[in-house]
Amino acid sequence: MKLLKFTFALFACAILINCSSDDDDNNEDLTDEKGDLILKFDNAVGDYDFIFETSYTKSNGESYQLNNLKYIISNVRVTDTDGNVYTYPAEDNAFIVDELDGNNAGEIFITLDDIDAADYTAITFGIGIDQERFALGAEGQGDFLDLASEEGMMWSWASGYKFVRFDGVFTTSTLTDEPLNIHMGSVGSSLDNYREVTLSFPNTVLVREDKTPEIHIKADISKVFDGATSVNFSEGYDQVHTDATETPVIANNMQTVFEVHHVHND
Amino acid sequence: MNVFQNIKLSLLGLLLISLSTNVLSAHNNTTSCNQHSTYAWFCDLCGCSTSSGSFGFGTLSNANFIGLRYIYQNFESKTGIFRNSPVSKETFNTVQLWAQIPLNDKFYVTANVPYQDLSRTYQGQTEHLNGLGDASAIGWYKLMFYKKKSNDTTAINYNLTKEPSGHSLQFGLGVKLPTGKFEERLIDNVNPGFQVGTGSVDGIFSLGYNYGGDKIGVNTLLSYYLKGENKNEYQFGNQFSYAVNVYTVFSKEKMNIMPFAGISGDEYDTIKQYNESLNDTDGSILNASLGSEVAIEKFIFGASYTLPIYQNLFGDNVQSKQRLSLYVNFAL
Repeated sequence: MKLLKFTFALFACAILINCSSDDDDNNEDLTDEKGDLILKFDNAVGDYDFIFETSYTKSNGESYQLNNLKYIISNVRVTDTDGNVYTYPAEDNAFIVDELDGNNAGEIFITLDDIDAADYTAITFGIGIDQERFALGAEGQGDFLDLASEEGMMWSWASGYKFVRFDGVFTTSTLTDEPLNIHMGSVGSSLDNYREVTLSFPNTVLVREDKTPEIHIKADISKVFDGATSVNFSEGYDQVHTDATETPVIANNMQTVFEVHHVHND
Repeated sequence: MNVFQNIKLSLLGLLLISLSTNVLSAHNNTTSCNQHSTYAWFCDLCGCSTSSGSFGFGTLSNANFIGLRYIYQNFESKTGIFRNSPVSKETFNTVQLWAQIPLNDKFYVTANVPYQDLSRTYQGQTEHLNGLGDASAIGWYKLMFYKKKSNDTTAINYNLTKEPSGHSLQFGLGVKLPTGKFEERLIDNVNPGFQVGTGSVDGIFSLGYNYGGDKIGVNTLLSYYLKGENKNEYQFGNQFSYAVNVYTVFSKEKMNIMPFAGISGDEYDTIKQYNESLNDTDGSILNASLGSEVAIEKFIFGASYTLPIYQNLFGDNVQSKQRLSLYVNFAL
């Protein structure tokens, strides 16, 4: 019977050990500690994974298929639990998210190296290139100018960057497989179509030297046509380039595309 | 009785060793860099559910035994966040050494040491993982109910042996131990959550009700699992398991045949990491089972087939397909 009591006492101990593990080190000193953070962009149409050459139908019945899907992300910064903002170094803070770079699952990775270790709650980034960066001139763009040229994300230096590039075909009740080209940018310095979005995380993101969290960002690209404003291909939104009326509508719609679906902490 | 003493001692030894190793490893904070927990809930399904109350802890008749059980399970899971995300297929093979060992006429212990062999097929590629799983042990107190004496004789005879009514309650208190490796790596490391164990010490609280009559028996079990945190500060959702089986007995000359039918299920609370709940990590499942036990002398052979009736696991990202269980026990 003694042995029996001992056995039960042991069970009880095990359960207590189990329950008292909340002694997390809240006073962690993170000064000078750096870590990496991965942004995972996943292009979607509604609840479905985006796939090239697949026909998607808009709210007005028009449909489209794409063979090219790219956009520029810049000025990435993250906000921690104390409200401090960490901004990624300016010279490296512009990226092209290209569906062609996706893995098997169509996920495109951007790794932010050596950012301050902290507990982050939100991310802010710009869509396109802001006027300040553009004003640095061609030589002030660093390697990104060459990258953007190679990726077909530039008109000419004077007209500047294409922030968003959708190429494919569209079909309406009267037209079939006509060319669709949405090339939206700021058009030099005359028109500012740079926009920013701030997305909060569903769970705190812990960046540490030995912990590299992932932020899974879902980008519902159908909102480019059916976002803040629904646009019709038949009314000129099949070819969007430098138009001062059309491009801001697409820019505003781009702002509604992104959401943080979930995060992975290590 | 000496044999039982030895078994008791070795059980205690096993418990002590496992507990102390767990306490040591809990302070080892080195985690791998590229480990993400996309499918981490799986190790709860395979590491814990096979030893959980919804699978049952013993034989229909609540007899003492030592035996082997084989469990085959199929799952399908989505590998992305979309409706058209590709599906992977998981097959879990589990072989358990399990036993119900009496300590005296009121107390007994059930124990379960599983060996896991898991495979996952995704886009034509199959990954394998095998090894010792998470062992568990539960100490039970059995409360027997006896028939009331309706004799109207005035003399109270304390020496009469009481006649069991067939009804009994069982109260269990136990632990599940992290004997299965949690950080086992796959060659290409695509699915770090696909593991043979949960890496945590869990508390188990159980309540059972049994009725065993001449023709019919009922076997009911409610269990609650209080899940601990593993060294990745990952805490699986607390789990409530239930199972009800009804059986009949056909007595033949040399054997007893006991076909049974039952329902069972699990309710999972959300998974926590760094003390925050993760979305879409809770779930529930309700199963129907059909099976039979055959007792020939000291041997009990059992088989059961289980299909889900209703399920909503982890934001519908996982689907349980079917489960087959075979066992052979030697009555003690």
